[in-house]
Amino acid sequence: MRGSLSKRIAIWGLVWVSLITLSLPTLIVIGASFTAGEIIRFPPEGFSLRWYGELWQLDSFKAALARTFYVSAICTAVSLPVGTLAAIATVRYRIRFRNAVQVYLLLPFTIPLVVSGISMMIFFGEIRILGQLWPVGVALCIINLPFMIWSVSASVNAIDPEIENAAMNCGAPPLQTFLTVTLPAVMPGVITGGLLMFILAFNEFLVSLFLTDSRTVTLPVQIYNSIRSVITPDLAAVSVLYIAIALIAVFLLDRLVGLDIFLRSK
Amino acid sequence: MVEIAGVSRVFGTVAAVSNATLHVDRGDFLTVVGPSGCGKTTLLRMIAGFDRPDAGEIRIGGVRMDRVPAWQRSIGMVFQKLALFPHMTAAENVAYPLKMRRFDPARIPGLVDDYLALVRLAEFKDRRPHELSGGQQQRVAIARALVFGPDLLLLDEPLSALDRKLREDMQLEFRRIQQELGVTTINVTHDQREALVMSDRIVVMEGGVIQQADDPVSLYRRPENPFVARFIGVTSMFPGRVTAETPEAVTVTAGEATLKARGGAALGAGAAVECAIRAEQIAIGPRDGAPRFENAVDGIVRQRIFEGERMVYAVEVPGLGGAVLNVFDHDPVSHSVYDEAQPVRLEWAARDLIAFPAGPAPAVTTEHKPTGSLTT
Ligand SMILES: Nc1ncnc2c1ncn2[C@@H]1O[C@H](COP(=O)(O)OP(=O)(O)OP(=O)(O)O)[C@@H](O)[C@H]1O
Ligand SMILES: [Mg+2]
Repeated sequence: MRGSLSKRIAIWGLVWVSLITLSLPTLIVIGASFTAGEIIRFPPEGFSLRWYGELWQLDSFKAALARTFYVSAICTAVSLPVGTLAAIATVRYRIRFRNAVQVYLLLPFTIPLVVSGISMMIFFGEIRILGQLWPVGVALCIINLPFMIWSVSASVNAIDPEIENAAMNCGAPPLQTFLTVTLPAVMPGVITGGLLMFILAFNEFLVSLFLTDSRTVTLPVQIYNSIRSVITPDLAAVSVLYIAIALIAVFLLDRLVGLDIFLRSK
Repeated sequence: MVEIAGVSRVFGTVAAVSNATLHVDRGDFLTVVGPSGCGKTTLLRMIAGFDRPDAGEIRIGGVRMDRVPAWQRSIGMVFQKLALFPHMTAAENVAYPLKMRRFDPARIPGLVDDYLALVRLAEFKDRRPHELSGGQQQRVAIARALVFGPDLLLLDEPLSALDRKLREDMQLEFRRIQQELGVTTINVTHDQREALVMSDRIVVMEGGVIQQADDPVSLYRRPENPFVARFIGVTSMFPGRVTAETPEAVTVTAGEATLKARGGAALGAGAAVECAIRAEQIAIGPRDGAPRFENAVDGIVRQRIFEGERMVYAVEVPGLGGAVLNVFDHDPVSHSVYDEAQPVRLEWAARDLIAFPAGPAPAVTTEHKPTGSLTT
């Protein structure tokens, strides 16, 4: 009994230390965003929504926020069909470029984002689309697509290949089989991947830095620009916005897929 | 109804099915039985249309199936691992083939209810597969395979995952439903008991080759080769040589014994043979008893297992070159029990001893030996 008690204390201690170190920065930022004073500090001076108000007054911020939503939506919209089909194809069928695709899946960890950013800037410049907003969404889709493919692949691997035979045996031609059986079965992976793509695009900074200018600047780049001048508590308020969006994504994931499935990553 | 003519399927160097020829009559329940890896699933997949034969022809209802894709065949199948659609409820699973086969939407709910009732699942219709027990999932799979009124039902060992009690219940359930609907059925199993209990006809396969196709009683009583004799029932084998032969009986010497065997095989005097005798056909008794059957050998009990309704002995017979014979003793009269190392006499009738021509018989897989087999 004593042994198991000390083990429990050790485990719970570890859990709490991890929870606190992981969440402390977040809690500090949230606290600081409600300050009534002029500078970011913790504990905050008084309590007010002043900086949220100031943020909302700032047209440059609102425009950047809207652009970020737009870019993330494009990124997600492109990645959903492309990533889903690519994942099903690479896992299921012995296609020709299987190896090439699998190497591509490792690229985000081997090529620094700076390199991707520069090369895409050059490429977009060449084909004269640099300076528009939608190519940024496509670019973010390209660099993050492997996450989408991974997420869907996990779902594809979990389904019993025999259920597609079962569908055909029930009289469903291949397209119907795909739409009514394969696709619903990989839906958890598609939703997870889609949310992941949205969040990644929403947060992406480095590649966006290369691809945007003052007319197309997105929120992360905007934040970066403003911390180079003067650090005011509205930055803390922006950070809280990011935290809120992350929480919404987790909430949606739980609603649509079930977090238990996600955490077991079946 | 189903005709399979000279069908072969080769994977690399493995001939999964070789030159299989068989037919199933309308309304019949045919079981393909054989050890693991003998090609049963491969045969079924070709009939269902998930795979194509490398040679030979499959006809269903007189129509050649070469160019008919799986989704246009009127075949219901219960898969080895069931393959229910995980994102659909039991009722949706059963409705799926009706939707895909464009049944009148107004009729679908009624049919689904009827078939869920047939498999006794009416109150579980709104559950997803993972909310059902193994046996209940099984029954959803059966309802899904039957609901659209297929010409042919294929069962790929759907009962193998169940515990024994449930399996035996489901065997009878299958038989009941199959007879109620009169649907032609091909069932696959490696369980000889299941084959004997459920089938109108049985096909024994080994190494991709059909060994024998017969009704259960004939298959049991008149196996055509040593493989079938050993695979169905508990059978002891020992080598011998023919010394005399008439159409009615064969005289065989085996070790020091001279035995009478069932005739009719035209073996020829002097031929080397494999003799087969079933465990339940051997009478065990004391050595000084009055003779009861044509054949008698003396042996020593090596092992004794009590199985409740019967005693199972392994008896070593020095006079048969040390062969060990399995004996089932149901003795309703004397209730005698013979101990290990006790000398006994074994007797059996001439018609129960079968002499097969000895030859390069297919290797016998022992992994699915039935209960009660002590030695081989
Ligand atoms: N797709 C395949 N590729 C290569 N070999 C295969 C393939 N499918 C089956 N085989 C081989 O063909 C043989 C027959 O396999 P099959 O699945 O038909 O056996 P089975 O009788 O159904 O066995 P079990 O009772 O274990 O299910 C086996 O030796 C198997 O290894
Ligand atoms: Mg099989």
